[in-house]
Amino acid sequence: MSTITPAKRGSGTRRSTRRVEPIYYLFLLPSLALFTLAITVPGIIGIFFSFTNSIGIGDWDFTGFTNYIAIFSDPAILQSYLFTFGFSVVTVIVVNVIAFLLAVALNARIRMKSALRTIFVIPMVVSGIIIAYVFNFLFSNSLPAAGAAAGIPWLETSLLANPDLAWVAIVIVTAWQAVPGSLLIYIAGLVSIPSDVYEAAEIDGAGKLQQLIKITVPLVAGYVVINVILGFKGFLNAYDIIVGLTNGGPGTSTRSIAMTVITGFNNGDYAYQMANATIFFVVAILISLLQLSLTRGRNAL
Amino acid sequence: MPVPGGAAFGPHDERTTVSVKLTRTKRLAGLGLGLSLLAGLLSGCAGGDGTETIRFTFSKREAIPFMTKLVNEYNASQDDTRVVLDTSGVDVVSASFVRGNPPDIALANYNMETSRFVERGALSDLSDTDAASRVREDLQPLMDQYGSYPGRTSALPYSIMASSVIYNKEIFAAHGIEVPKTWSELIAACDKLKAAGVTPFYATWKDDWTIGQGWFDYSVGGELDTIDFFKKLSEEGADVGPVSAVSFQKDFGQSVGKMLKLAKTYVNKDAASRAYGDGNLAFAQGKAAMYLQGPWAFSEIAKTAPDLKLGTFPLPMTDNPEDLKVRVNVDLAAWIPEGSKHKDAARKFLEHLYKPEIIEAYNKSQLGFTPTKDAAVNPDPRVEGMAGYYEKGQVYQGPSVLVPKTIPIFNYTQAVVFGADPATTLRTLDADWARLAFRQ
Repeated sequence: MSTITPAKRGSGTRRSTRRVEPIYYLFLLPSLALFTLAITVPGIIGIFFSFTNSIGIGDWDFTGFTNYIAIFSDPAILQSYLFTFGFSVVTVIVVNVIAFLLAVALNARIRMKSALRTIFVIPMVVSGIIIAYVFNFLFSNSLPAAGAAAGIPWLETSLLANPDLAWVAIVIVTAWQAVPGSLLIYIAGLVSIPSDVYEAAEIDGAGKLQQLIKITVPLVAGYVVINVILGFKGFLNAYDIIVGLTNGGPGTSTRSIAMTVITGFNNGDYAYQMANATIFFVVAILISLLQLSLTRGRNAL
Repeated sequence: MPVPGGAAFGPHDERTTVSVKLTRTKRLAGLGLGLSLLAGLLSGCAGGDGTETIRFTFSKREAIPFMTKLVNEYNASQDDTRVVLDTSGVDVVSASFVRGNPPDIALANYNMETSRFVERGALSDLSDTDAASRVREDLQPLMDQYGSYPGRTSALPYSIMASSVIYNKEIFAAHGIEVPKTWSELIAACDKLKAAGVTPFYATWKDDWTIGQGWFDYSVGGELDTIDFFKKLSEEGADVGPVSAVSFQKDFGQSVGKMLKLAKTYVNKDAASRAYGDGNLAFAQGKAAMYLQGPWAFSEIAKTAPDLKLGTFPLPMTDNPEDLKVRVNVDLAAWIPEGSKHKDAARKFLEHLYKPEIIEAYNKSQLGFTPTKDAAVNPDPRVEGMAGYYEKGQVYQGPSVLVPKTIPIFNYTQAVVFGADPATTLRTLDADWARLAFRQ
């Protein structure tokens, strides 16, 4: 659970200069073979086809960079990038704030702590598409019915039918599912903080809020980085919850990148969406490099 | 859940020295194990016993019970072939082509989607089947509108659907309304219904396809010659835009405007959050006078209200009754992929499907029109209102099915109904069309 200390890092660099025992390469082989066959080879084939006009089957021709040129003038694809990044940033913030506060609460001396923890973790084990369909029903039927009964006009129309606000519904549902994962990591982080620092702070006269801001937050900072990276990565690939909730609608306002890529398989746009996927791949690599360089030095993954 | 840090293996430098002498044979054994695991993963499905199993794709929701029964009867009647019904849907089928594992036979909606398989030669020739010789020749233009592959009959029509406005005869009679034959009569009828507190149209805008196939197609198709428009549009190709001879923004604007007039004034208040299933239920309960759906909705409505008196009429979009037309589509076409490994068994099953008693029973049950020469005319009173137009050829194919599926036309029509500027959306449609032509 502890973060890596400089001392251990030092031993790691020393180790790498020695001759590596061949048996480790053998251990590596099965997963390397599977990874190559299941990910690298299809990936390269996909990039190859992004320079053709293939629809995934039958005859095709090389078209050079035509697909890439078309993508940069395609509002649907540009909008999907905008939506996905905006949605990811908002969701990461929402998820981490809620998960952190929940973790602090669930780590305090409260009644039925373990029962409550169990309840809060349940959303994590339910499949995203099922959650999405249940919430879809709630947003489309239950909430408007409640709004009509209570006489609140803005609640009477479904959130999902509003092109400007449908993304809010997606953030809510995604956060509902993603909070438990972050929560667990935060709880682990909070548990690892030794109690003597709190005692010392108390003796020095720090209030509860000061303790939270000046001790808890800095000491779990590493976990915040982890949660933000893992969360952001997951939200960029958003697919199932959006399909179940809005299916990209109303109009084209909530189509994520993953959704537009998959339409390539479903709607005969294989090569074009492979080009899109290639661009997304490059973007993802750039983000990873950025995140790695930001987090290097401390809290390395 | 990955946990941060953790010098997982600790100082293992000492441990490794133990196994320096791990013999070469053991290493080879490990390699062999890895490879055999891999082989097991890759070999996938293996052959079976004497019976040949074919995968039959059929995903028309309303008719799945009918087809399940038919397949079970076929399986019980002979021992050579076992047909497995696959109802997993259109998208899965398309992806299965890409993966090189298409179904052995399909009865599927015939649209631009299938057109790609036809044009790139992914479907096998059916011209020498008995079924092909019994299909009405005058239906060929409907099939050809989606392209063809030289020298092949790639698909055979199985069920033709005509669709138009479904209306509740009881409500129309109660308010003394005749079936409208012109745009002004339609507006007058709507106003009369609205004044009497009856919702004229039940709309289900949550499902974008219901806007595309109903509201959009009936409006545009009722006013515009779609065959001619799309022919010219294809000729324009990448030049489609504000200055081209035909374009969505130029030719669709008027019809879309009329559609919006109906959509904004005469629908149920909660249309935006209602889906297709809600619409069928509400219409069956008499909550509106008219419903822009195809005949497939009848069987769903009948589940709630089996005795409801329903009829159909083409949506009048002009003030000339001569312009009335009904929307038709090849609701089901049969095809056998070139990539199927069980073509003979699939063909045998195809002939079974086209037996007069089966194809006619199917179309009767789904209120479709049977496309074979010897078929009896569909007698159901609910589609009577369209039969005359269908026989006289006053038909059109909806624009939403003639636009390649890679352009999200359903989403666009939904956006317009939800308040997006129609002119901007139609310009986007033009740009999408031009971009598609540019890269394909």
